[in-house]
Amino acid sequence: MSHVHDPKAAPNRKINLPKTAPVPSPGAHAADVKATQAAEEAKWQKTLADYEIARANAISEGKEPPKPPVRHAVKADAHDMRWPVPVEAQDPDLHRLRELLGGAVEECFEQAGELVCQVKKEAILDALTICNQDVALRYEMLADMTATHYPGGWGFNFSIVYHLTCIRRRKRLRLRILILEGFEPESATQVYPGANWLEREIYDMLGVRFANHPDMTRILCSEEWEGHPLRKDYPAVGLGQRDIDCREDRSGVLTRKTMEAAGHLGINLKPLKAE
Amino acid sequence: MPEMTLVQTLLIAFIQAILIIVFVFVAVPLTIFSERKVLGFVQQRLGSTRVAGRLGGITGLMNRGMWWMGKIPIVHYFRGLPGLVGDIFKLFIKEDVKPAKADRLVYLIAPAISMVAAMMVYAVVSFYPGVLFTIPSWVPIIGGLPVAGAMADVNVGILILLGIASVGVYGIVLGAWASNSKYPLLGGLRSAAQMVSYEVPLTLSLLVPVILAGSLSFGEMTRGVATGSSPWAIPSLVFGFFVYMTCGYAEVNRLPFDMPEAENELVAGFHTEYSGMRFGLFYLAEYINMSVVAAIASAFFFGGPWLLPFGLQSFVPEACWWIGQPHWYIYVAKIFFFLFVFIWVRGSWPRYRYDQIMAVAWKYLIPLALVNLVVAGLVRYFA
Amino acid sequence: MFKSQEMEINMGPQHPSTHGVLRLKLRLDGETVKYCYPVIGYLHRGIEKICENKAFFQGQVWTDRLDYCSAISNNLGWAEAVEKLFGITVPRRAQYLRTMLNELNRLNSHLVWLATHAMDIGALTVFLYCFRDREKILDIFEAFCGSRLTTTAMRIGGLLEDVPEGFDKMVKDALHAVRTGLVEYETLLSENRIWLKRTVGVAKLNADDCMAYGITGPMLRAAGIAYDIRKAHPYAAYGEMQFDVPTRPEADTYARYLVRLEEMRQSVRIIEQCLEGLPEGPVMAKIPKVLKSEVGEVYHPTEAPKGEIGFYLVSEKGGANPYRFHVRAPGFFNAQAIPLMVQDSLVADVIATIGTLDIVLGEIDR
Repeated sequence: MSHVHDPKAAPNRKINLPKTAPVPSPGAHAADVKATQAAEEAKWQKTLADYEIARANAISEGKEPPKPPVRHAVKADAHDMRWPVPVEAQDPDLHRLRELLGGAVEECFEQAGELVCQVKKEAILDALTICNQDVALRYEMLADMTATHYPGGWGFNFSIVYHLTCIRRRKRLRLRILILEGFEPESATQVYPGANWLEREIYDMLGVRFANHPDMTRILCSEEWEGHPLRKDYPAVGLGQRDIDCREDRSGVLTRKTMEAAGHLGINLKPLKAE
Repeated sequence: MPEMTLVQTLLIAFIQAILIIVFVFVAVPLTIFSERKVLGFVQQRLGSTRVAGRLGGITGLMNRGMWWMGKIPIVHYFRGLPGLVGDIFKLFIKEDVKPAKADRLVYLIAPAISMVAAMMVYAVVSFYPGVLFTIPSWVPIIGGLPVAGAMADVNVGILILLGIASVGVYGIVLGAWASNSKYPLLGGLRSAAQMVSYEVPLTLSLLVPVILAGSLSFGEMTRGVATGSSPWAIPSLVFGFFVYMTCGYAEVNRLPFDMPEAENELVAGFHTEYSGMRFGLFYLAEYINMSVVAAIASAFFFGGPWLLPFGLQSFVPEACWWIGQPHWYIYVAKIFFFLFVFIWVRGSWPRYRYDQIMAVAWKYLIPLALVNLVVAGLVRYFA
Repeated sequence: MFKSQEMEINMGPQHPSTHGVLRLKLRLDGETVKYCYPVIGYLHRGIEKICENKAFFQGQVWTDRLDYCSAISNNLGWAEAVEKLFGITVPRRAQYLRTMLNELNRLNSHLVWLATHAMDIGALTVFLYCFRDREKILDIFEAFCGSRLTTTAMRIGGLLEDVPEGFDKMVKDALHAVRTGLVEYETLLSENRIWLKRTVGVAKLNADDCMAYGITGPMLRAAGIAYDIRKAHPYAAYGEMQFDVPTRPEADTYARYLVRLEEMRQSVRIIEQCLEGLPEGPVMAKIPKVLKSEVGEVYHPTEAPKGEIGFYLVSEKGGANPYRFHVRAPGFFNAQAIPLMVQDSLVADVIATIGTLDIVLGEIDR
């Protein structure tokens, strides 16, 4: 089912696999900040050590010692840009959700004003039902639903996000689950009928199947399509120009014109075989 | 008037037929052109201003002439006119594609049925009561003979007219069925139901002039309605006119009743699979039918060759200069006026839905036409 | 004695009024639709994949091509999503100009909708009247950014350039044209008996179904729910604008027609306010030439003419292009509701339904 890619056969179809897993959360952010600081500190320590060695060498050779390094304070950003940092959950909706779902909630946080709640993958249908039917929450609409592929070995292969909208209270909530390849999450169509095409699209584009979905077929690509285009291991460059079938072309004019046009455009066309 | 021999009769009829064909084939392209222009005017655009060819060929010659004349504003407005020749020429030279699974014979004769039925109606239309002109005496065989304003003003003219006109629907239904395709089939079904339904109120509304004039002959009816009506008949005539026009629009499949070929629903309706001149025949038949409806409306309700409509001519003495006399050009002008109204309506109104069209016919038009008929009968009886 | 059979018919992908390449598999009993299955994907260009392999600022060009009738709204949604992801503050003048362009674009899109919708129902003249007035708006786009349809008007952090000379006058002329035009369309359609017969009670979709199927925009407002993202989650300069959210309770085609016409009036109002209160200042925020992202995830909804258009972005650390790019296209959800709306209606109503949904296949298939 998955797309087979042979880089030797088609070198222009190379794939850039990601190196990190971009799944934001406050914990990950804190670890990231800590790692950055530690790296900077290590760099500074190395600079200091280098200086000491250089100074010792200079003194021993009788030259003038180099200037000691200065640790620059972090430059104030001159741009109109402040990266939104994920912060701990404060919104009552998230508290309510944590209260109702209990242990099923893995993470709750806010980033750039958006409420995010990561739940256990088995509990997604419960979470959706609660979001839809709980009096205090009552998220009536599933605004969007999509998935992201993480090909590396980070303990999960896909994140699926559900963007819920509460029309009465003008609120939005993102539910997230992390799943492994082959896991079939429960279909959201049982709660939100509008998820039908969205799940078909996820299946078509990323190859995640949903359990209890009424019509789990491809939607954007044709049924015979090989592979799932939005996976990270699917090449962004296509298979190239197809052979043009000129069987109906008795006089050979079309062939000539096609070859001329191909030469003109620089398309790599194979010469046509005689039938 | 001396008794005419068979040869003479045939020759005279032949001349009349040629006159009618010339009239139709001048009127129809002009209608098509004016449709473009009038719609353009309604829609605040220019309409067609270019011609088909550039510099070579027949259209090219006309084009150059038109460019040369284009300096005069009025002619400039008609610059798209030569394009019409190109259009019809294109219909002739286009490849005639037949669907592989079509019923060949029926597929081939269906456009002809439409066209012939549309043309034959003109046989009984009386353009002018009496003699149109006399053939000069130096012409052999038929010299000195009169040519009447109607080809065959038979005494059951209106029956022939209705009978032939209702054959036209066969062209559409057979063509749709023979195409062996689904959209044409839907179009054919619609047109069968629609045209058969609208035949009823159309005929009922035409019975009003029949009753008022007391005749079935086209010329007699025109004369009777125009010059011999009582003032009490006027409301009935006006009402009958509106019923007739509504049904007429439905009969010729024009907006707002263009169900059989509703291009936004059924791609092109019954003629989806037709191309080349076969499509052209359907296309021309539609416009000829339009002119037929216009001719009947202007004859029976709008006074025909007399100036005033709805029997108002009865109050004008016959000796009153040319207002009192019939003139063929008045009749032709009226026909063109109604053709203009066809285009005007097309530019103004959306399309009905199929079931609503049927409701209009059966729920409103037929009862109204019946009531109108009774009123006309009472008028005839008492006045 | 007689055998009756349901006829299966393909409406589209080549059909004059499926607004592009939508295909409906219909099963008809006579002219009544018994079953409808929409098939999409004929215009799938893989825009999501392409944008994931392009730098952030290159997404502009591709978002134009989503819904080609309202390129500026898509552009705005995309630019705002990236700005939200990076935490960029856009200058006020740029916000106002964005609002103004977005509303001009809404007028443009609604004019195209009215033109094609009326054309589908057979009103030929409204089509050309709408295009006549739309021309003025396209001229404004051309004066502002050089192209008429796929404008690429926005940039991440603001706008590329300030408005040209004489922009005010062009906008005022266009607004005048739209105002007078609206009167003409209303004269031709609003009380036209045939128009009423074709639209009242056709393609009903009540508020609950709208919400269950994720349908937003004029469709939801015509079902009686005053939900407009410009009011609910104000973006650009909409927080400072005075405008009403028109609603109708009927939830049918005619109600949507009225709602959209009223929305056009409100758009005119917003544009006038923008022209009056246009602040001075720069139109571009100070941002680095090459954007390098941190780990982040953002979903930004904006109110496109057809409904809520949302951009979902995931970014990785140090990435120059989005890790995941997803478009929540309003037409995708609207098209999903077609079977619900056309069940047991006539073929002519299917056309009216497609028209009233205002779908553009460019954004559905992406």
